[in-house]
Amino acid sequence: MWRIWLIFDPRRVLVGLATFLLILALLIHFILLGTDRFNWIEGPRPAAVTQQASPMPPSR
Amino acid sequence: MADRQDTSLSGLTENEAREFHAIFVQSFVVYTVIAIIAHFLVWMWRPWFPGPRGYAQQLLDTATTAVSYLV
Repeated sequence: MWRIWLIFDPRRVLVGLATFLLILALLIHFILLGTDRFNWIEGPRPAAVTQQASPMPPSR
Repeated sequence: MADRQDTSLSGLTENEAREFHAIFVQSFVVYTVIAIIAHFLVWMWRPWFPGPRGYAQQLLDTATTAVSYLV
């Protein structure tokens, strides 16, 4: 497996990998911030809160 | 160009490739372990696969309900 570095230049691989992982991480974090369930900064939007609370079954 | 025959496509020697590979694998493992810990913590916070009845009903909720009936 180490022979891969005889073919691919490690410097380019590291730069490419870091760029890819950074963009992927930013993308996932912004997607999560755009959801109601996984927004860890502001929580769900108020409309979503009422929507989530309304279909609760009556307590016994 | 006789010295070019000693080097590979990337310009690394075999020893350099082995040395870089060891560091690369070690870094990969560290990165993966951190990612697994982060995913575990997020799953504890809010699982991202809803049950058949949506996010409201989780396995833990069932257990909590069962316990509340018993107590």
